[in-house]
Amino acid sequence: MNSHDLLPVHTGTVIEDDSLTLEQLCHACGVHTDWVISLVEESIIEPEGEEIQVWRFSGDCLVRVRSALRLHRDLGVNLAGIALALDLMEEVENLRRQLKIRGLD
Amino acid sequence: MQYKDYYKIMGLSRTATQDEVKRAYRKLARKYHPDVSKEKDAEAKFKELGEAYEVLKDPQKRAAYDRLGSNWKAGEDFRPPPNWDEGFEFKGGGFTGGDAGVFSDFFEQLFGRAGFHPSGHEQRGFHMRGQDSHAKIYINLEDSIHGATRSISLSTPQMDAQGYVQVKHRSLNIKIPKGIKPGQHIRLAGQGDPGSGGGKSGDLLLEIAFNGHPLYRFSDTDIYLDLPVAPWEAALGAKIKVPTPEGNVDLKIPPNSRQGTKLRLKGRGLPSKTPGDFFVVLQIALPPANTDRAKAVYQKMQQELDFNPRPSLGVKSQ
Repeated sequence: MNSHDLLPVHTGTVIEDDSLTLEQLCHACGVHTDWVISLVEESIIEPEGEEIQVWRFSGDCLVRVRSALRLHRDLGVNLAGIALALDLMEEVENLRRQLKIRGLD
Repeated sequence: MQYKDYYKIMGLSRTATQDEVKRAYRKLARKYHPDVSKEKDAEAKFKELGEAYEVLKDPQKRAAYDRLGSNWKAGEDFRPPPNWDEGFEFKGGGFTGGDAGVFSDFFEQLFGRAGFHPSGHEQRGFHMRGQDSHAKIYINLEDSIHGATRSISLSTPQMDAQGYVQVKHRSLNIKIPKGIKPGQHIRLAGQGDPGSGGGKSGDLLLEIAFNGHPLYRFSDTDIYLDLPVAPWEAALGAKIKVPTPEGNVDLKIPPNSRQGTKLRLKGRGLPSKTPGDFFVVLQIALPPANTDRAKAVYQKMQQELDFNPRPSLGVKSQ
């Protein structure tokens, strides 16, 4: 008998299948609402929905907010710098992916 | 316990000024930041750096550390001398930054497992829901294709009743939903940090990454396979058995296929609402001319075929 048989199996939900509210996003990242709003204002993340009450964030936003938080906390990068860094990091990631598809990584 | 040479970690001399400490930290933090750096063990290096900076940026801690003397070698077995910290005021004081849970035994022995000060909204109320916690898990392609149950082990720093940070190890069996992609997240409700004062536990968010695969490469929901083919298979067309994650498929290679030609098997990528595609990339393999017969075949091709592989270079083939 292995451990699979003894422990309960947890079934989760895939975040990307639905989306996150502002409150859920803030809680998931452990950050204050104001900070996430300032990320939206800097268009570092882009929610669906016009009004703040109906904002919905994708799983990609979750990744970006957490990276933004680390850049801010660990390196002291400001919002404009975070926006620039994240965009460049995304571009590098895309280029790496292209290399990988071509088997060049 | 091993001695840690914080000056060496930061590439500084023992006489470095506080400004130099700060500049060295900024520079190395950019170099090893796990989001930015693709260096191997960037994360471990970054943590080590954070610990070194935690000590050297604080004149009190730095002075106490300096008092240990400069004769220790990194990695050497270390016991702090008695009363080494006499007269310093940091004992039990809070860290100013970083995650207290990740510092080394060496650090904790010297500066104590100072109370962990949770940031932000946790301090406000007594009935707080626990923080959501995050972890990255690596799964195999096949787990996503078929769905699977996987056992994962997690190490989580948790605060005990006295406010000390303890690293808890636990394992969880989780269902990997069919068709999950790299970069997506699974939320396990109530599996995050415990709440305080009867508040609900937070959630556990698992970011999915794929292990490298010996045959396939991935891009979003698409899967790529390099397929070696003989020159005559590419030239004349052929039917070739191709391994896909869901079993072998007979693939028709059209005549006059070129090197690098991409053939698409629609919908045979990762399963999802709009399933990904499976791409076969032809790699023409040349038979070696290592026997007289093989050489004769190549010579015959040379004589019989009027073939210039370099028409675009503007030089005549000889």
